[in-house]
Amino acid sequence: MSEPASSAAREASLAVRAEALVKLYEGGRVRALDGLSLEVRAGAFVAICGPSGCGKSTLLNILAAIDRPDAGQIAVAGQDLLKLSNGDLDVFRACQVGLIFQLHNLLPNLTALQNVQVPMMTLPPDGGSRAARAAHLLARVGLGDRLHALPTALSGGERQRVAIARSLANRPRLLLADEPTGALDSRNGDMLIALLEDVRREYGMTLVLVTHDARLAERAERIVHMKDGRTVDAG
Amino acid sequence: MTTALPDLTLLGMTLHSLRRQPLRTLLTSLGVAVGVVAIVAFGSIARGLWASTNASLKFNQGDLMVFQRGVSADVFSTLDEARIRDALLSDPAVERVVPSLWQVMPIRPAPFCFVMGLQPEDLALHRSKLIEGRMPESGDEAVIGTVAAKMLGIGLDQEIRISSTRVKVVGAFQTDVVFFNSAVILPLRTLQRICLKKGLVTNFQVALKSDADLEAACRRIETNVPEVVAIASADQYKRVDQGLEIANGLVGVIAFLSVVIGGVIVMNTMWMSVHERTREIGVLRALGWPRRRIVRMILIEASGVGLLAWIIGSCMGIGLAEIATRLPFARQFVDPVYDWQPPAMAFAVSVVLSMLGGAAPAWRAARISPVEALRYE
Repeated sequence: MSEPASSAAREASLAVRAEALVKLYEGGRVRALDGLSLEVRAGAFVAICGPSGCGKSTLLNILAAIDRPDAGQIAVAGQDLLKLSNGDLDVFRACQVGLIFQLHNLLPNLTALQNVQVPMMTLPPDGGSRAARAAHLLARVGLGDRLHALPTALSGGERQRVAIARSLANRPRLLLADEPTGALDSRNGDMLIALLEDVRREYGMTLVLVTHDARLAERAERIVHMKDGRTVDAG
Repeated sequence: MTTALPDLTLLGMTLHSLRRQPLRTLLTSLGVAVGVVAIVAFGSIARGLWASTNASLKFNQGDLMVFQRGVSADVFSTLDEARIRDALLSDPAVERVVPSLWQVMPIRPAPFCFVMGLQPEDLALHRSKLIEGRMPESGDEAVIGTVAAKMLGIGLDQEIRISSTRVKVVGAFQTDVVFFNSAVILPLRTLQRICLKKGLVTNFQVALKSDADLEAACRRIETNVPEVVAIASADQYKRVDQGLEIANGLVGVIAFLSVVIGGVIVMNTMWMSVHERTREIGVLRALGWPRRRIVRMILIEASGVGLLAWIIGSCMGIGLAEIATRLPFARQFVDPVYDWQPPAMAFAVSVVLSMLGGAAPAWRAARISPVEALRYE
C-alpha cells in the first residue's frame, strides 16, 4: 500500500484525532488543555480518567463541538472541526455526536418520549415517525413502559437511560459521556455502563467515557489518563 | 389496538413552556390584554359613533346635511332658516329640505339632554320609529327617545320641563342613531321660542332628486351658499365636529401606548424565561439546535402570550363596552358596533408587540454559549 493511501486509511479508521490541543481560560492564566494529543480508533470504547480540573470535560466539550480549542488540530469522525462554520457545527453536533451529561439535562416539561425526539427535530423529516423511533429507543434502554413520564417522575437511573436514548436519536458515530454515573449509586452506575457498552456494540459507535471512577474505567478497552491538561499515558 | 404516538413539534414544545408557568403566562397575557381591552372597547365604541353619525345623516330621509361653515362642534352651527332654505331649494337637484334645531339643555334630573326641534310635517317622517304613543300635534307636546326616557325616568303622558316651558310626552321612539335615542324631539317653533332662536336652525337635511349626482350637488351647494358645508358621509363630519376624529385618535393613542407597555411586559417576562432556561437552551444548542430555531421557539412562545392576551382582552373589551352602554352618562353616546376591525387591530397589536417584546430575549437566547449554559446553575 502506498504511503498516502495508507495515511488515508488510517484517518478513516480514527474516530478522534487531536493534536497539541490548547484551551485557555481567564485570559490565559488557566490552561485547561496544554498541548493534548489523542487518537481514538473508530468503534473503540475509551475511558478518560483524571482528577478534577485536569481538563477531561474541556476535552469532551471540544470533541462534542460545543467548544473550540485556542490552538491545535481536532478532527472527529473525519471532519476537521476548526474548518466548520457555526452552522456546520450545529449539523455536526446533531448528526455525528451523541452527548450524555453527568446530570441528565432532560427538558423538565417534556415527557421521556418527547425528550428523545428533541435532537431528531434538527433533521429534515425522513418519512418515518419521530415518536415511533423515540419509543423504540426508549424500549431499547428498558423504558418502554415509561414513555409518557416526566423527568420528575423518573428515578436517577431512569433519567440517565432516557438521556442515553436521546443520545442515540440521530444514530451518531460518536457517543460522548461525561461522568454519566456521577449521580447514581454503584448498582445503577454498573447497569448504565453495561447499557452503554451494549448500545455501542449494537450500533457500532465509538464511546468516549469521561470518569474519575477507576472501577468503571477498567471496563473500557483503553484508558487515557489526564493530568494538568495533558495525557499522561495511554493504556 | 395501539394508538399512534404524536411527533413532538416546535409549537408543541412552546405550548409546554407556556403551560409550565401557567400563572406567569396568564399574568403576562393580562398585561398585554390591557391594550387589547382598550382597543376593542374604544374601537367598538368609536365604530358605533361612526355608524350612528352615518345614520344621522339620513335621519330625515335625506341624502346630505348642511351646517354652518367653520364651527368646532355641530351643535354650535347656526343658520338663518328662511334664507338658507330658499337658497337650498333653488338648487335644481334639491327636492326637499328639513330644517332642524339641535340644543343641549339641562332637563331634570339629567344635567344635560339632547333636544331637537323639527317641523310638524317633518316629524311625521319618523312615525315608523314610534314604539308607543303618537307624534306631537301641538306646540306643547314632545316625543322622547328610549334612552332619554330611561335617563329622565319619564313615561307617556308625563310632563318634562325644558327651561321654563312644560311639554307633555306623547310618544316614545327608537332609532338606529344612538344620540337621537337620547333626545327629546319638539316642534321646531316651540324649541326656537324656548332657546330664543327665532328663525334660526342648526342644520338642514337635504333630500336630492332621484337622478341627482350627490357629490356634484354638495359642491354646488357650497359654491352657491358659501357660509355652509354639505356633509354626505361620516368621514366628512370632521368639517363640523371633531368628536369622531377625537374618538379615532384616542384609539390610536391607546394602541400606541399598549404597544409600548405591553412590549415591555412581554420583554420582561421572556427575558426572565430565557434566563431561567439558560441551561435548557444550552442543552438544545449542544444537541445541535441551530440559533435560528432557538429564536423561533422564543418568538412562538412570545406570540402565544400575545394570542392568549388577544382572546382574554377581546372578551374583556366587549364586556367593558357593554358596561359603558349601561352607565347613565355614557349610554347617551355609546352604542358599540362589534365588527371585525377592532379585534383585527387588537390581534395585530398584541401579537406583533409580543413578538417585538420577545425579539431581544430571543436574540440573547441564540447567543448563549452551550458550554457556559451547561455550567449554569
